[in-house]
Amino acid sequence: MANNGAPDSWEQQADSGSGDHSESPDMSGKFSTLNVNAAEFVPSFLPRQAEPLPKTDSPESTDGEVPVTNGGTVADEASCRGIEVEEPPGDGAPPPPADSWEEAADGDNDPLLTPENEPEGEEDEDEEAEEVIKPKKRLVNRPEETKSKKEHVNVVFIGHVDAGKSTIGGQIMNLTGMVDKRTLEKYEREAKEKSRETWYLSWALDTNQEEREKGKTVEVGRAYFETERKHFTILDAPGHKSFVPNMIGGAAQADLAVLVISARKGEFETGFDRGGQTREHAMLAKTAGVKHLVVLVNKMDDPTVEWSEARYNECRDKIMPYLRKLGFNPQKDLTFMPCSGLTGLGLKDPLDEKLCPWYQGDAFIPFIDKLPSLNRKMGGPFVMPVVDKYKDMGMVVMGKVEAGEAKKGQSLLLMPNRTVVLVDQMWSDDEEVTAVGPGENVKIKLKGIEDDDVSPGFVLCDNANPIKTGRVFDAQVVILEHKSIICAGYSAVMHIHCAAEEVTVKALICLVDKKTGDKSKTRPRFVKQDQVAIMRVECAGVICMEQFKLFPQMGRFTLRDEGKTIAIGKVLKVIE
Amino acid sequence: MSSSYNNSEESSSDRNVEIWKIKKLIKSLEMARGNGTSMISLIIPPKDQISRVSKMLADEFGTASNIKSRVNRLSVLGAITSVQHRLKLYTKVPPNGLVIYCGTIVTDEGKEKKVNIDFEPFKPINTSLYLCDNKFHTEALTALLADDNKFGFIVMDGNGALFGTLQGNTREVLHKFTVDLPKKHGRGGQSALRFARLRMEKRHNYVRKVAEVATTLFITNDKPNIAGIILAGSADFKTELSQSDMFDPRLQAKIIKLVDVSYGGENGFNQAIELAAESLQNVKFIQEKKLIGRYFDEISQDTGKYCFGVEDTLRALELGSVETLICWENLDIQRYVLKNHATTEEKILHLTPEQEKDKTHFTDKESGVELELVECQPLLEWLANNYKSFGATLEIITDKSQEGSQFVRGFGGIGGLLRYKVDFQSMQCDEFEDDLYDIDDY
Repeated sequence: MANNGAPDSWEQQADSGSGDHSESPDMSGKFSTLNVNAAEFVPSFLPRQAEPLPKTDSPESTDGEVPVTNGGTVADEASCRGIEVEEPPGDGAPPPPADSWEEAADGDNDPLLTPENEPEGEEDEDEEAEEVIKPKKRLVNRPEETKSKKEHVNVVFIGHVDAGKSTIGGQIMNLTGMVDKRTLEKYEREAKEKSRETWYLSWALDTNQEEREKGKTVEVGRAYFETERKHFTILDAPGHKSFVPNMIGGAAQADLAVLVISARKGEFETGFDRGGQTREHAMLAKTAGVKHLVVLVNKMDDPTVEWSEARYNECRDKIMPYLRKLGFNPQKDLTFMPCSGLTGLGLKDPLDEKLCPWYQGDAFIPFIDKLPSLNRKMGGPFVMPVVDKYKDMGMVVMGKVEAGEAKKGQSLLLMPNRTVVLVDQMWSDDEEVTAVGPGENVKIKLKGIEDDDVSPGFVLCDNANPIKTGRVFDAQVVILEHKSIICAGYSAVMHIHCAAEEVTVKALICLVDKKTGDKSKTRPRFVKQDQVAIMRVECAGVICMEQFKLFPQMGRFTLRDEGKTIAIGKVLKVIE
Repeated sequence: MSSSYNNSEESSSDRNVEIWKIKKLIKSLEMARGNGTSMISLIIPPKDQISRVSKMLADEFGTASNIKSRVNRLSVLGAITSVQHRLKLYTKVPPNGLVIYCGTIVTDEGKEKKVNIDFEPFKPINTSLYLCDNKFHTEALTALLADDNKFGFIVMDGNGALFGTLQGNTREVLHKFTVDLPKKHGRGGQSALRFARLRMEKRHNYVRKVAEVATTLFITNDKPNIAGIILAGSADFKTELSQSDMFDPRLQAKIIKLVDVSYGGENGFNQAIELAAESLQNVKFIQEKKLIGRYFDEISQDTGKYCFGVEDTLRALELGSVETLICWENLDIQRYVLKNHATTEEKILHLTPEQEKDKTHFTDKESGVELELVECQPLLEWLANNYKSFGATLEIITDKSQEGSQFVRGFGGIGGLLRYKVDFQSMQCDEFEDDLYDIDDY
């Protein structure tokens, strides 16, 4: 809606700066390449400079916001100077990396960042009505130029079942105008018929019949929305215990994870208890390579919570130690914020002071918009693990580009079977593009391959530099939770990037001391919980992988058995 | 090899040993081949009369003397005579019946060897059999071994289905196939409904296929060949299957349990067994898992009340500290008793097949004298015959379960639960080839 309106003009301006619409695809391809690099090297600075121009929306609450953020900044600066501030900056959003945060705050000061606000009113309604018809057209003439203008960020929503992940995802799409009102009204009506009124928002992401009937996400839902600076892909992971394998597939594509926890009485506790998915998901997200975690304390509007600060703090304080243990730095990688998915409060606009006087940080969308750029693997050969595939006038594979770039018409290699394929068509989210870069969630139509020759876990990569494949490898493994012992002969399911494969431990090579990193000289007979070991692992089939130190995304894995995550590890050496 | 233990406390593990012995016997009998039709298999059910059988044998003896071929006639007559002699040792048929195998078999080297085996099975055998053939008939014994209950498993998830059975301590995968179901699609527009419909149709077809395969696998002669069925899977497939009218009603009646597993395939199968354990209490496989699970618990808690490896286990046995001795059924370690001529010293060695090839084990290191072989038998057999004298119970396990496989591959397939903590001075060095792994690489 309004969002589309604003960036549109901005894009056009930017476009005119970088190249003409009528430019040949080749040219624009180059331009986009250049731009990608620009975005990468200038950390979220330049785009902001370009932005002030199209600013149209009301400044509104920014004033209220600025001082607070400044406060945060000061506190942070203080900590930077070595004056240890005891408490991680209070209730406010615990800031991300100090410097970038400052920048962000600076940015906040001048160009009035708020993407766009509720007061869209009638005007927007009109626009929206138009847009219902329009979007496709616009998408068509956008592709070449738009594609890599904005930074692509993949956000995965994780958390215990019924925490409200899908609802928040649906609400965000609603707020950013990615679902039109009519569809939503239809959902609302249908949901009401089933007397499941509160579910209608999640239906935007839960598209299957059985998902809607039970109100439980089964497979990872996918959608996207845009802010002024970034392009977000929402991955809505299932929260149910049985579908954790699906969730891992989603988390493997994510750059940013949003842990949704329910503040409702009892729900938080069940989610966080042993056996609840809150812990497991957070851990899996960390293993999947997610750097930053936003914790949304949801359902603050519930009658048992009523925006109580005490409850919010309780949830935060309970979960914080665990997340810290996982390796998230509370200063840098963690952010807590209250919200209400159903009403949409705290997602796009800052919270009303009357309702929630104790939280003055950014709302969710502006916050993730302001996060510093991710460090992408720009150069290097193209690598994209296949998450899913389907047939639609050809073979279409989906996945997130991990490194490198690919262009339309390029020939690529599909590993581990070494099938040569030709890129026929590409989409970045739903827009057709001619080139894709790292971090984008893409669909690629391939030529020269049949339906049966692809399965999830395969990797699309560069002809000249194919990814390593192997069946036997050595890995360093941390045993997280296992009731008895693990020794040679143990078998489990391994999740590596998007693949899931049955593996067997062939031999234990040595134990690694957790503190010192020393390796034991004697060969251990077994390993048990909380130990770290190097072991030789054999897979049932050949899979793609890479040494962790060379390519972390392709070299980290999770071992699961009997519905529990047993261990995490990294590939040290591919043997054969 | 006769047995009739009435002590109920010991009976369960003794029974396992008996079962293992019979298994081994069956294996060796099955491999034996003889000349002509001179191999006699005789099974007498409980409560039959010895005299009746003797009379029958006498009649057979008469018939057999008419055989034209001289060689065949002589060997058949010889075999019948030996059976008769064996029978004379019994005054009446033992409570569980009697099984006699007799005949001349041809060994690998082409030599002839006379075999005469009689024993009482560990549980009543309800078969009457007399056969002369060129091989021994062991079907009745195999049937005896088979646990009465066989359970079917269907594991289905979005990627494929697996059909398996669990009977006694054998876990078997009957069939598996993969499917390619369309995932949740993000495609909308006019065709959204069409995609949704296609998806539903594919899923429906998948359920139908599973139901059909289940019928072919689990129903023989219009009767279910299993005692119960367990449906496992992620998501809704298993419930859908259990309620679907495509699923054979005869099988539907046999459903014991629906369990939630997070993966398909072998891993899902294992998990399904684990989850259904309560419903399958009496199945040997579950007991085996529990036993090794207990052993692993001792190790992980580091109580010291465990041992593994041949050396340590035997030492612990001698100390009398072993409560439960756990052995892999296919343990391929041979026990050698060697004698030195010069000193008349006896030496006992336990060698793996690889070590057997190394002839240095059979010579005395100091004098260089070749040692005389007094006795050579599989270690497991020796243990099965002698475990009682060490006050231990013997459990023979398979490597079919997750735990079993770990025990065999990680601990060499022999170990024990101890009554008290024993400090083993020499922890066994591993036989692994160390140069295979270069630790400094990492």
